[in-house]
Amino acid sequence: MSRLNRRTFMTKAGAAAGSVAVLSALGPQAFGQDKQVRHFWWGNPERDRRTFAVIDLYNSKNPGTVVSGETLGFDDYFTKLTTQIAGGNMPDVIQQGYGVLFEYIANGAVVPLDDYVGNSLDISKIDQSAIDAGTVDGKFYALSIGANSHMAIYNSRLFEAAGIVPGEDFDPYGYTYDDLARIGAQVKEATGVPGTDDNTADYQNFSDFIAQKGVKMFNPDGTYGATQEIVEEYWSIWQTIRDAGATPPGPESAGLAGVADLSQLGVVTGKSAMSYLWSNQLVGAQGLMEDTLGVAMYPNTPAMVPGSIVQPSQFICLTRDSVDPEAATAYMSAFVNDLDITAILGLERGIPSQVDVREALQPNLSPAEALSVEFFAGIQGKTAPLDPPPPSGSNEVEQTFERVAVSVLLGEKSIPEVATDFLAQAKAILARA
Amino acid sequence: MTENPVTTTIAARPASTDTAALARAYREARARRAKRAGLLKHIFLILTSLIMIYPLIWMISASFKPDNQIFGSLSLWPQTFDWDNYGQGWNALSVSFTRFFLNSTLVTVLSVIGNVISCSFAGYAFARLEFTGKNIWFALMMMTLMVPYHVVLIPQYLLFLNLGWVNTYLPLIVPKFLAGEAFFIFLMIQFFRQLPRELDEAAMIDGCSPFKIYWAIIMPLSLPAMATAAIFSFIWTWEDFLGPLVYLNKVEDYTVPLALRMFLSQDGASQYGPMFAMSILSILPIFLFFIIFQRLIIRGIAMSGLK
Amino acid sequence: MRTTEGPYAMEKFFRRNFAGYAFLAPWLIGFFLLAIGPILASLWLSFTKYNIVRPPQWIGLDNYIYMFEFDDRFKKALQVTFSFVVISVPAKLIFALGVAMALDKGIRAIGWYRALFYLPSILGGSIAVAILWRQLFNYDGVVNSALRLVGLDGPYWLADPKYSLWTLIVLAVWQFGSPMLIFLAGLRAIPQELYEAAEIDAAGPVRKFFAITVPLLAPVIFFNLVLQMIEAFKSFSGAFIISGGSGAPLDSLLFFTVYLYDEAFSYLRMGYASALAWVLLLIIAAFTAIAFWTSKYWVHYENERG
Repeated sequence: MSRLNRRTFMTKAGAAAGSVAVLSALGPQAFGQDKQVRHFWWGNPERDRRTFAVIDLYNSKNPGTVVSGETLGFDDYFTKLTTQIAGGNMPDVIQQGYGVLFEYIANGAVVPLDDYVGNSLDISKIDQSAIDAGTVDGKFYALSIGANSHMAIYNSRLFEAAGIVPGEDFDPYGYTYDDLARIGAQVKEATGVPGTDDNTADYQNFSDFIAQKGVKMFNPDGTYGATQEIVEEYWSIWQTIRDAGATPPGPESAGLAGVADLSQLGVVTGKSAMSYLWSNQLVGAQGLMEDTLGVAMYPNTPAMVPGSIVQPSQFICLTRDSVDPEAATAYMSAFVNDLDITAILGLERGIPSQVDVREALQPNLSPAEALSVEFFAGIQGKTAPLDPPPPSGSNEVEQTFERVAVSVLLGEKSIPEVATDFLAQAKAILARA
Repeated sequence: MTENPVTTTIAARPASTDTAALARAYREARARRAKRAGLLKHIFLILTSLIMIYPLIWMISASFKPDNQIFGSLSLWPQTFDWDNYGQGWNALSVSFTRFFLNSTLVTVLSVIGNVISCSFAGYAFARLEFTGKNIWFALMMMTLMVPYHVVLIPQYLLFLNLGWVNTYLPLIVPKFLAGEAFFIFLMIQFFRQLPRELDEAAMIDGCSPFKIYWAIIMPLSLPAMATAAIFSFIWTWEDFLGPLVYLNKVEDYTVPLALRMFLSQDGASQYGPMFAMSILSILPIFLFFIIFQRLIIRGIAMSGLK
Repeated sequence: MRTTEGPYAMEKFFRRNFAGYAFLAPWLIGFFLLAIGPILASLWLSFTKYNIVRPPQWIGLDNYIYMFEFDDRFKKALQVTFSFVVISVPAKLIFALGVAMALDKGIRAIGWYRALFYLPSILGGSIAVAILWRQLFNYDGVVNSALRLVGLDGPYWLADPKYSLWTLIVLAVWQFGSPMLIFLAGLRAIPQELYEAAEIDAAGPVRKFFAITVPLLAPVIFFNLVLQMIEAFKSFSGAFIISGGSGAPLDSLLFFTVYLYDEAFSYLRMGYASALAWVLLLIIAAFTAIAFWTSKYWVHYENERG
């Protein structure tokens, strides 16, 4: 390719971003002096409705600023964002999840907010833990818009039918893998439905287990922390639960490894009585079921070392391409602090991290929302401290785990063999990243 | 060989001894057999189509169920018919589906027109005309067909950004008028090459220009090819979501497939029922277009009385 | 090229080419303005390390060296894709041709049958198909229930790497609508008299098929073969939606383009993804070239000289 072409393609992005601004200025609502803020999120019909209502409210409260909303389904969100990074025309304010955020920070696509804190951005009432979660190398990058934690959900009807009383037969906020094997088999015997999903290929459960063993997932030098023994023990524990008849057959679970769709959860399809997800997915899962869901933490070892963490489910961040960062951060500030706005948003994105907001929302919760608030009260003091941001490549390690664990579920290779294979691949991935 | 069962049944009948009766019996048996074969063919076709449409039946059934019944039970018959999915689904997103259908119609109709015209031009050039460099252009045309789409996505985005076309429908429509889909060019070429050469040679001797030949001879004779291209072009444009995903920013500009994907969520409440209801409605235009245009595939040939 | 002698030769050259280039003009404009740039850009990117956020860095052949020396998933992806192409393309074409021939002859309500058979292709790669395929091929799903009726114990189709690819092959064959339609249009172009003449000669259906249908349909068969092969090599959405984007179980559904997409958009290795794309492109080009070369021996455009 000639040098001319190369230059045309790779360096005009900035100028091009300008031309897009001109183009979007042809839109209906823009006037010359108005400050423009583009807010982009992944959503669902309910979230979109609420967020657009927030934007309308903000625009009417703040003449001179025009916020425009852009939204897509989760699957499409990052594809689009990726092309926009390449084009240098990312929206001003974007939504980010916990894992991917750090790649964006490391690459400079998301910029620090420190200059705006105390001016356009008010974080005085945000929980310190939420601020810490959005801080990397002493710089504050990301504003939490909802707290999240690992959650087990069970079908109350099936548990009841098996005569299992939460709180008596097991403590939802502190039960062991042995308990799980016992009650899982009990449910299977009484109802014919296996008591629990099989988490052999579930990296979230595995990450809890690493912490429960008192180990950090990543060493300070960025290498992988889990040892051969830990990986083997984790898979052996689930092997025991499986052998107790508490889970669907191994191959059945293997078919679901890496499938993230809520509609495929065991509790939803009726293939098991207990599934594992993030707490902010509770409302979505309940919406797909007729039976009522109960909640619990992830299982633990008898030592009860906390494994689950409370972490932001979502952040809003300021991008490198923001044209008017002052206006954008003012909008972000209202998004987490303004009580009229947060009343519209509710708990839809997770539990808010701002104390006044939480109190104001308390009286008007739906049953499922109330259940998740109750869950957050229950896990107080039983969670692990947040680790520093994961190194680049952690995402790929997670997917590798889900992939190789399938051999364990299918019984194709021995657990030590697969564990060795996984750790070798994890090492290679982290070295390459 | 297939006659055997018939002759043996006839032979087994002692009453039919005279030849006339035998012939009649034979004719009747043959008619019966034909009828039975026709019936068998129909049964076969109906069974096969059931397999083909099972998913559609499932989708229609799902579109009438409340979300909490779609995944738990395998029953195809909804316990209660829930028309709400249609009513609510139409307005469930921040912009009404009326708008999405209009957007999709605009993009699709223009794309079909662009594809059929520009690709038949190029196809005619490759199939019937001689010019310098033809083989090289042909090879390059085929190459554009082989490039995995995802890898040119970003360079293409940068290109359209440079042209100032992002956030408009231009990246979705203009390439169709510039014969951007090599599939259709190749399709046209193969069909044009089946047409009798003598026709345009005779016309050429009569002093017709290549333009006249294209318009008066090739076009009318290629109605089946045009209809086929129109059908594919309609379906593929209607269903495309990657293009609209990347190039359109405002929800009110979205096309139907993009809107459908907004019903589902990984971390909140998905709306499967409305999604299936709107999916059913979204394939109706395709289905109608297909029914109408597939007749042209058949009639076109019949009218032209080709060969 | 012949020597040009003065304005006369120039004019002749111009006139010889004018019509061809006039008809080709829209394509040429599109090719130079819109198509070739991104394609060449991806070729250039294949020699760089490009994470999209930072500008690309030239690294020479490193991507290609890594691919062939170290990347086991690349080899796995090639293997999966080859298996898929080799099985699904012939199966789909045979099925499409069979149905097209069954639908060609006068049957009542033929239009409706055609529409019904086209339906699966209309559903395409929608999310509904992904959910449905899971329901069909689950261990206690429709397929295994049917197998149980005839006394067979079906496998775990979706979980077992030995069988999972077959669910995708069935999906591909099931969506046989477009080659069917093209075959139909081609069959319609075969003069009915030829069959009638053959019937007088007492030719059976098999002979009629090989003596009349196949040779006269050859250009269309060739088209479908080449196009379906290219499409199968590039096949993406089926594997992507059914494996949840990961190629699971155990990479048995790791189609080449799924791997490429993952590298590009999940891990932001656009340079490496571009290198993968060019390897795929060369493979497809080689197979297409072979197809074109063999077509000289079996595809005859009877209306053309030579």
